[in-house]
Amino acid sequence: MNKDLLNILSNSNKDINNQKLMDYVSGRLSPEEAHEVEKLMADNQFTNDAVEGLQNIKPGKDLELLADQLNRDLQKKLAEKKRRKEKRKLKEEPWILFAVALVLVLIVVAYLFLKKFPNL
Amino acid sequence: MLLQRYTLMLLGVCMKYLKNEEDAKDSVQQIFLKVIVEIEKYKVDYFKSWLYMVAKNHCLMRLREMHGKIPAELHDSIQAAADEPTLQSKVANEHLFGLMQEALSELNKEQQQCITLFYLEKRSYQDIAQKTGFSLMQVKSYIQNGKRNLKTQLEDAYRKSLEG
Repeated sequence: MNKDLLNILSNSNKDINNQKLMDYVSGRLSPEEAHEVEKLMADNQFTNDAVEGLQNIKPGKDLELLADQLNRDLQKKLAEKKRRKEKRKLKEEPWILFAVALVLVLIVVAYLFLKKFPNL
Repeated sequence: MLLQRYTLMLLGVCMKYLKNEEDAKDSVQQIFLKVIVEIEKYKVDYFKSWLYMVAKNHCLMRLREMHGKIPAELHDSIQAAADEPTLQSKVANEHLFGLMQEALSELNKEQQQCITLFYLEKRSYQDIAQKTGFSLMQVKSYIQNGKRNLKTQLEDAYRKSLEG
């Protein structure tokens, strides 16, 4: 009782597991498990808002699928961003292209030179 | 990636404020990108709290774009989220226990009833709603407001004990 009373003051920042979160939203938890989730909600506004918001999503929607899709989109966007950054790097530093072109020209010139004067 | 652990929670927060699934999904994407850019600029010590702040600010901006103003309750909750001192470290537990009992008895009847059922009897919101006849939203708000009042009262008592 002593400990429980003092627990009221806790401000736990503990992470809630995604599966627990989804099970709570769809009402699949036992009263004891639900109480544990609710304690995290009362301690942490982020968790509380997340639960209230997820309860606004139409029942029956696969929340895990929604989150996976968002994660996949993020990966795609990041990969694209990285590609664009590398492209821009080439544009911003044209000397790289110039150096490559110069080396190629030198190779061709050397080849032609050697072909023309094979005895050198 | 650490960020992806919070995707579902971010979707929830965006749904709470924007109340539209497509808007919420777009916002989660925008928050992701914002976080990736911003985290390189600042030193972030408490990632989770910081992430929540970024997400909430983003939703408020979206609401402002859509409606031209922010509902008053959102202002309040942002301020409430900012102050989180740990009282337990300030006052010795024994003394605190006495103060807690006193503070609890000074709460209004509804808050006292809900706090007792929730924290001491470990009942779920649903159970408490059935037992008391309050709605789920009422139960939740009695618990959250009761908890806030308890903290305020204890902080006052602590301040007084320092002065006296």
